[in-house]
Amino acid sequence: MSLINKKLSRRRFLGMSSCTLATAVVGSQVKVLHALAKNGDVTSPQRGKDDDVFTSCGMCVNKCGVIARVRNGVIEKLDPNPNFIKSRSMLCARGNAGVGVVYDPDRLKYPLIRTGKRGEGKFRRASWEEALDLVAKKMNEVAEKYTRAGVMFASTEGTYQDHFFMQLAECFGSPNNVRHPTLCLSSNIQGFMATFGTNPTPDVLNADYIIMSGANRSEALITPDSIDMLKGDGGRRKLIYLDPRFTRTAAKADQWYPIKAGTDLAFVLAMINVIINEGLYNRSFVRENCVGFDKLVPHVCNYTPEWAERECEIPAADIRRIAREFALAAPRAIYYHGRRSSFMANDTQLRRGIAILNAIIGNWDVKGGMVPNSRIKIGRHDYLAPWYDDVPDRLDAGSVAYLSENDGAWVPFRDRVLAGKPYPVKGMMVYKQNMLASVPDRARSLKMMDQMDFICTIDITMSDTAWYSDVVLPEATYLERQDPLESIGGILPVVVWRQPCIKAMFESKPNIWIMKEIAKRLGSDVAEQFQFTIEEVIQTQVKGQPQILKALQTRGVYYEKTDPTYGRTLGKRLRTKSGKVEIYSEKYAKKGLDPLPVYEAPKTTPAGKYRLLVGRHAFFTHGTTSNNPYLNAIMPENTLWLNTEEARRRGLRNGMRVTVRSEVGAQTLKLEVTDKIRPDCVYMAHGFGVLSKGLRTVYGKGGCDAALIGSSYDKISGNAALHETFVQIERA
Amino acid sequence: MKKDKRYAIVLDTRRCIDCKACTVACKTENNVPLPEDTCRNWVTEEPLRGSYPNLGQSFAPSQCNQCENPPCNSVCPTSATGITEGGIVTVNPDKCIGCKYCMLACPYDARYYNEETGAIDKCTFCIQRLAVGRIPACVETCPTKVRTFGDLNDPCSEVSILLAKNRHRVLKPELGTKPFLFYLI
Repeated sequence: MSLINKKLSRRRFLGMSSCTLATAVVGSQVKVLHALAKNGDVTSPQRGKDDDVFTSCGMCVNKCGVIARVRNGVIEKLDPNPNFIKSRSMLCARGNAGVGVVYDPDRLKYPLIRTGKRGEGKFRRASWEEALDLVAKKMNEVAEKYTRAGVMFASTEGTYQDHFFMQLAECFGSPNNVRHPTLCLSSNIQGFMATFGTNPTPDVLNADYIIMSGANRSEALITPDSIDMLKGDGGRRKLIYLDPRFTRTAAKADQWYPIKAGTDLAFVLAMINVIINEGLYNRSFVRENCVGFDKLVPHVCNYTPEWAERECEIPAADIRRIAREFALAAPRAIYYHGRRSSFMANDTQLRRGIAILNAIIGNWDVKGGMVPNSRIKIGRHDYLAPWYDDVPDRLDAGSVAYLSENDGAWVPFRDRVLAGKPYPVKGMMVYKQNMLASVPDRARSLKMMDQMDFICTIDITMSDTAWYSDVVLPEATYLERQDPLESIGGILPVVVWRQPCIKAMFESKPNIWIMKEIAKRLGSDVAEQFQFTIEEVIQTQVKGQPQILKALQTRGVYYEKTDPTYGRTLGKRLRTKSGKVEIYSEKYAKKGLDPLPVYEAPKTTPAGKYRLLVGRHAFFTHGTTSNNPYLNAIMPENTLWLNTEEARRRGLRNGMRVTVRSEVGAQTLKLEVTDKIRPDCVYMAHGFGVLSKGLRTVYGKGGCDAALIGSSYDKISGNAALHETFVQIERA
Repeated sequence: MKKDKRYAIVLDTRRCIDCKACTVACKTENNVPLPEDTCRNWVTEEPLRGSYPNLGQSFAPSQCNQCENPPCNSVCPTSATGITEGGIVTVNPDKCIGCKYCMLACPYDARYYNEETGAIDKCTFCIQRLAVGRIPACVETCPTKVRTFGDLNDPCSEVSILLAKNRHRVLKPELGTKPFLFYLI
């Protein structure tokens, strides 16, 4: 088969037809980018005209090392930082596309104040002075009327400047900050913390046997796991992949099983059953390091491979074989626990199951197993938040079994805002969190925003959430600001930061500046806590460790070791109540939760409907990158995947436009008929179907998953359950 | 660049996850216009093998093969195409009149018409980076290190060793173009 057949036909068509309109329009965008970079809007560069600046990527959660090549005051290219051990000297498509963020014609350029109706998109340019005055005035008004808890703070995580936003929330006096973990990985953290007292990192590089359940590491890139996954040495490593979809990870796996969605725990429990019944578990590890194994034995006796086969549609013989191979490969075997999670409302129990399965084969804190993170200690920028007497408890307090006070639980939080109970929340401060795209059930999120007296969003582009705000404040991008140090934990921990590669364009400002200016206007109690500069924050962080700053300046990254240390926790107390691996969780039992993971079969798919699956791509991060011109060119819209047989049965054809309808909304997008999905599921990528006309590249393209997904969530961790929604599809 | 170099890229496509890092890195390095069909390098999703649920799929990164006998060279009416030291096939945009003969002649479909420069454009192994001792952007950025770049005339180079140790093939060898993009089997 020719390697380039598909390419050939496309290229030739374009070549022969000279130029199409689309080519002309989109192609010229590069010119626009460069013109933007060179016109009068760009202030002269802060550093020398030509410079190579060490910084860290801001395109996703990974924070890989980057060298920005600055020429004539313009960032010409971002290259991987070869010193950066976490990202193994690479930069993915998103990282490379970072130049498109800085020179994006759709960037927010100056403060905006809404003039039309909410969502109408009518804004006027305002001065920083006016916009900040208005924000502070409105925050105080809401606080006066509804107490300080009446203003909620929604924040992203990992911009390195979100600390200052959290500080503003605390100093202002609102307990209501909601961050992204319950839209991502809080069930995972909860499940592993309850078992191991920490959330470990799988040592993918050295593992001989890896099982992944939906953790699609070829597309949902996580450094270094995605890279290490493929560094198998000549067939020694085995990768088993379970996913209702045939993803690019499936293409790289030794075996792919199109598991019935939401039944992963059945597979895990059956593996535990086999490993226990056949005596394949690590007896000494279990005896010395675990509690509750005796209760696990009877708990799994009915979870046989034959039972699991009926649930998850993976042959019992295969489950048996995989369980044996897994135990045999131990301790260099990992049941990879994923990151973006929460498929189902019992997700914490799935993560507990995975943790327990890993524990009983004794792959704890050893080469090729689950390794507890280490972290490089850096200093902390401290402050004393003022105390306000009349502020009530968090709005979502008690809504889930284990609520993170730092992060909240998005879905129940929104429900309570809408109910106005136990108290009203009428002001909304948003820092770079696009909750209209990320929180399930967009219609409800819109309703929540509708009932707000005031909404302010700080972002770099006009996200959907910004589009529905009253005041929009432009932040400097990650390549234009000095960020504090960030200590990233892992098997090989690093310290990173971001340096300004060019001076912030237009009127954009770093978040620290915005926070200080708002604080100044909120009154002296708050302002007092914001009397610091970014340099002072960094000096506090590196106090007594000048080598950190030196390394960051000369190499762009600081690390203390390049070889992992294993076994640090062996023979020591873990951070659980018993000090051991808690197979049986007394803590859960006391709360009335299942102390051992109990399987709950997913709801049966109603006739004529499909389970909606969502997922990611190697060239997109959530919803923040689909408007990036470089990345959008790779995938301009999302499609709805439908199994070939199923499409034939329904008389639906590839490329046809279909309306997808769930209980909470409907979206229209193109159908992609493919063998790469189970017949009972449909799939769409996240990040499309935007409401904001300020995102001109992606506007009008594809459908929005958040508009379809219902509000189901995990009652233990509060994590939104993204795969509990059924949809019907019809020709549009 | 010394005269006796012969540059090549060796690709281990078994590692390719079709993440498009190479394509975007190339576009930002070489100012390649945005549309997907306008590119100096690309990754093709090969057709799905088998049928549900027994499936397999490979991904095929490709680009200009820097042929020893490049058909694009002989058809160029203005001598815009040339071959530099190290065997790199180049296009001089000042000489190029955009007639596209070379696009049709290239059996690897490696050339495109650049609307912005009005000239034909293609991969040059990032010649501007080689000049300062760096490797091509696609090779440097590749997350899973599918690509290895080097001098085949140096028997100790990584590319030479890879080819000596592994079975490999080139695309369309029957055409006699003698490509210098090698795929490990």
